[in-house]
Amino acid sequence: MTNTITEASILSALKEVRDPDLDRDIVSLGFVKNLKIDGGRVAFDIELTTPACPVRDVMKEDARKRVAALAGVQSVDIRMTSQVRSSFAAEGRADDGVRNIIAVASGKGGVGKSTVSANLAVALTKLGAKVGLMDADIYGPSIPTILGIKTHPSKQGERIIPVDAYGVKVISMGFFVADGEAAILRGPMLHKLMEQFLRGVEWGNLDYLIIDLPPGTGDVQLSLCQMTQLTGAVVVSTPQDVALRVAQKAIVMFKKLNCPVLGMVENMSHYVCGKCGHEDDIFGSGGAKTAASKLGIPFLGEIPLTTGLRKSADEGRPPLVSDPGSALSKNFTSIAEALAAQVSIRAMSPELSQETQINF
Amino acid sequence: MNPPFALKINRHGQCDIEIVWNDGLTSVHKARDLRLACSCAACVEEMTGHRIVRDEDVPADVQPLKISLVGRYGIHIQWSDGHTTGIYGFEYLKRLSLNPHD
Repeated sequence: MTNTITEASILSALKEVRDPDLDRDIVSLGFVKNLKIDGGRVAFDIELTTPACPVRDVMKEDARKRVAALAGVQSVDIRMTSQVRSSFAAEGRADDGVRNIIAVASGKGGVGKSTVSANLAVALTKLGAKVGLMDADIYGPSIPTILGIKTHPSKQGERIIPVDAYGVKVISMGFFVADGEAAILRGPMLHKLMEQFLRGVEWGNLDYLIIDLPPGTGDVQLSLCQMTQLTGAVVVSTPQDVALRVAQKAIVMFKKLNCPVLGMVENMSHYVCGKCGHEDDIFGSGGAKTAASKLGIPFLGEIPLTTGLRKSADEGRPPLVSDPGSALSKNFTSIAEALAAQVSIRAMSPELSQETQINF
Repeated sequence: MNPPFALKINRHGQCDIEIVWNDGLTSVHKARDLRLACSCAACVEEMTGHRIVRDEDVPADVQPLKISLVGRYGIHIQWSDGHTTGIYGFEYLKRLSLNPHD
């Protein structure tokens, strides 16, 4: 009697494979797709919730081993795919096609928030996601410099077409204000500008739209929290106490506006000497990790202060492009993966991604 | 305890509003009462909290024309009398539902 492999037995074996972030097995999560059984040959897809999954290979191997162990199975062919889940429940939204909107904030200026935003966007793109970056730092737009953008956005009728930088779609106030000039704008104009950046730009299909906020807690932050239901905010701080205390104010603001805080990133976590590699905690140590833990917020990762990163920002060449194997690139990649995991958790949880339904 | 969150905003009757809350309760808000409870700076004095909008300023048949979301924390109502500057936070609406005549 030949052993016929059944779909049920395969799914039963795959029920032992768990997604570590969502803390459930891949079968009940609906990840197993396109299951084909051809004699002793088994093939299926595992569709993750983000391409930025650090345990993708481990999961694939775990699934392969378990199915291969079933009687009658001669070969197992697994394709790892991904479909980023949207954190928005409602259909027909103004920002159609954009699945998740993440704001990057800081309590004060000078903590390197824009460098973090830009590199996070590039990291997510390199991991396979479709990413947009909106530089909403109206007064000090530095994204075009950090990403070395020399071109300007074009217009298609009334729609603004974003510029492409290393695969990221970018819009910045910097494109609309001439070099050497300053944007002098107050409340209502800022609101209108945010509306245009959100709804008047042809973002297309995006997995993640990263918004680089101005530092602090002001009109732009408020306007964005009102105009759209942000998937969440990431707060950047240095380990220094002063920076942290101010970062906490930003966190309180988001909590008041019912905007989820997806995590904290510690920038300039320590200085690494370019010559000898000596590490120095010039801004203190571990402060953001402790603060995140006290506030019950995930800690997404840290980035050291290196001359290399500063240079890359000034020259417009992100480390992920100029030196993808470097420790710095690895840091940004792991922060991107941690962020993607937090977004997935929210998107897959009905309680966390609750949206008000207006039937009026 | 979770902060108040409106799960559904439905029509109630001709022009009143029904809110289904995350705590399982449902509240009904009469159109004119809600209009008079607007807390924008034109209706309430910022510094003293005194009501500026008076009963006689608002037509008897005022009703909501359009309701839209404000982030994840409230709704915006476009009123038939032309008033559009009010944002009603969920916490405020919840308070109103418990004490309609405060």
